[in-house]
Amino acid sequence: MRNVVITGIGVLSPIGIGKEPFWDALAAGRTGFRPVTLFDTSSFRTNIAGEITDFDPLALLGKKGLRDLDRSTRLLCSAAKLAIEDGKLEITGEKTHTTGVAVGATYGSLHSISQFDRTAIIEGPRAVNPSHFPNTVLNSPASQVSIRFNIKGFNTTVSTGFCASLDAAAYAADFIRLNRADAVLAGGVEELCEETFMYFHALGYLSGADSSTASCCPFDARRKGTILSEAAAVLVLEDEQTAAQRNAAVLARFRGYANAFDPSAKENFHGTGAGLKRAVLLALEDASLAPEDIDYICACSNGSPELDRTETAVIKSVFGSHAYATPVSSIKSMVGEAYSASGALALSAAVGALHRNLIPPTMNFQLQDPECDLDCVPNKAKQHRVQNVLITAVDPYGQSSAAVLGK
Amino acid sequence: MMNTRVVITGLGAVASIGIGKDAFWDGLRSGTPGISPLCAFDTSKHFTHNGGEVKQFAAGKFIDEEKLHTMNRATHLAVASARLAVADAQFTTEQLSNFIVGVSHGTTLGAAQAIEGVDDALVHTTVVSADLFRQMPPHTAPAEIAREFKCTGPHFMVSTACAAGNYAIAHAYDLIRFKRADIMLAGASDGISRIEYTGFNQFSAVAPERCQPFDKNRRGMIPAEGAGMLVLESLENAVRRNAPIYAELLGYGLSCDAHHMTNAAVDGITACIRNALRDAAISADDVDYISAHGTGTRANDRAECAAIRDVFGDRYRSIPVSSIKSMLGHTMGAASALEAITCALVVKNDILPPTINFETPDPECDVDCVPNQARHHVVKIALNNSYAFGGNNASIVIGKFLQ
Repeated sequence: MRNVVITGIGVLSPIGIGKEPFWDALAAGRTGFRPVTLFDTSSFRTNIAGEITDFDPLALLGKKGLRDLDRSTRLLCSAAKLAIEDGKLEITGEKTHTTGVAVGATYGSLHSISQFDRTAIIEGPRAVNPSHFPNTVLNSPASQVSIRFNIKGFNTTVSTGFCASLDAAAYAADFIRLNRADAVLAGGVEELCEETFMYFHALGYLSGADSSTASCCPFDARRKGTILSEAAAVLVLEDEQTAAQRNAAVLARFRGYANAFDPSAKENFHGTGAGLKRAVLLALEDASLAPEDIDYICACSNGSPELDRTETAVIKSVFGSHAYATPVSSIKSMVGEAYSASGALALSAAVGALHRNLIPPTMNFQLQDPECDLDCVPNKAKQHRVQNVLITAVDPYGQSSAAVLGK
Repeated sequence: MMNTRVVITGLGAVASIGIGKDAFWDGLRSGTPGISPLCAFDTSKHFTHNGGEVKQFAAGKFIDEEKLHTMNRATHLAVASARLAVADAQFTTEQLSNFIVGVSHGTTLGAAQAIEGVDDALVHTTVVSADLFRQMPPHTAPAEIAREFKCTGPHFMVSTACAAGNYAIAHAYDLIRFKRADIMLAGASDGISRIEYTGFNQFSAVAPERCQPFDKNRRGMIPAEGAGMLVLESLENAVRRNAPIYAELLGYGLSCDAHHMTNAAVDGITACIRNALRDAAISADDVDYISAHGTGTRANDRAECAAIRDVFGDRYRSIPVSSIKSMLGHTMGAASALEAITCALVVKNDILPPTINFETPDPECDVDCVPNQARHHVVKIALNNSYAFGGNNASIVIGKFLQ
């Protein structure tokens, strides 16, 4: 079985665009929360989100072929471009067939879907613009990456909600392990739009929905929910030997992964512990590592009362006495909850931690919660030797995923 | 590790021509048309009015009454297909709990009916119920299946449009070979959707009356709905529990056209088929039957036939190639899952389902499309093709089970 390495990263996030600016922002503990400008928030009780305000698709992608692409697709194509450049990946000749795309995107562009439908309701089905129809399929953002960068090996969109981009990266790693591809652009995308904001607002996931000031403070006793954000992150996953042959700079190693389902899970992350525990244990086994080998846990905790408590309990249960010696931070305190893109953002942050031996902080931390008493690296990044990182993801419908990256 | 053989031991079909494997197979063999005037939504302002709705489907037969309102139509269809497949594999839920069972599911539209419900409420400024919001993510379908059968194993949801069923089955195949699961419930579902119907109408891609793949006078595809679910397990597992074995899953291939969002590319399809043959370690000469993507649009059928000519050379006219979409219409993501079920039944029974509504040969599509009548034909190996928006292609290879 072949080994999988990471040789490039492209990130667009509310706290920075590009790998180094993203890592710098994480190191500095910069948060990306601001009033939404993309849509009218007057019908909601909060107007704060992690919007990417400095996104310039024209500068990143050029004018050609841009007109009919929605925001999700523009974000993902931009992240793919940055990743290809960062990894100095050449996708020409035979390599077009040995390179693939695996993307976590749960709603594709829910905004595109809903606008298309609402136009048909209001103006009649014959009034909708046919050129907008392709944007309504969930695999549109990923497929446009293939079209733009001529990637023909395979193209897969994974739609497992909060777990989606971690699952997509693992799917990509499997394809490399099984010799089905030599390199894969793996990542995720989620655009901020009225429709997804409405969904998370209505179901009680958002901080500020009780009209208090919105705050994303994972592990903090004051936490009352998360802040929704948008992001696109793409990693170049590559067969180790193929990467060596082209003298690629190896940023990290993809060491292991697993996912599991918890049939007893309930809304707002209630009862997801057994699934997460199983996923973490199996991921460690897949990586042939013991809990003591993990130097940093890039947590999925997002400020939801139940999720942060559950994740802490699972870490204690798996790591035993080592739990208190392991830094566990949530980058979502800075980048927010980017849903399907959150796993790819966490992988990108984990690579930064490995590269810089620097653990990103959990920002906005003020009040200790006795049930979340691990070292969450409060408010300030920490120098720490990092050999292996565990990355988690939990979806309230029942799935949990865990991945391990190494130096 | 990767030498594990994967077999198909349970089939669950929910389609306009029949619910349950036996009714579905009877419908296929007798060339039953499943197209009718749509009732799910108002089509009076569309150019066409027919669809492949599963009108006889009563979700309450498969799902507890109190849970029905928490799921949308695609999920109803999906859970029903899973229930049928598990029963067909001679499993009770209790027996399943002795194994690591995962779910790998596909879709084109996800929970389109929930999104449409929310859109209606937004346009008419009525309140959206929390139940409707809960149904919105596409992965509610596999989640409900996993809840229903208490599956704790690997969980996967793929939304590669109209090839999603094959993608889901393909991934389940890898998961069993990686030994991450003993048993996988693999399939796909899509409910009939206003968004989809409007889109294909605006593309002028919908045939007004019936679907006529490969016919010179074909007028397009017909949007439809359905769900198909397969129980996959390692051969070792199936033998140990004395399971009925329909067929063996021999491999799969994917490719991406990297060409156009909606127009298929011949070289993308040929690459996909060749990848599948290589993965299954067979040659083009070994293929006895092709279950075509065969949507009935001019562009699709022409590209697919050109690709079959490229891959199979001189043999291309002697390999039967039929499209069950002539009967069902295009069930979107569910299509290739229902076609995989068809291939399993074909290799089991040595009977080919016909392409119905075939009248006038098209020189550009001069394959043997098994016109209008089912036919006896020994099939050791069947190839199941699927192509999707975005140029996401997937072919799987299903073989007769031989010791």
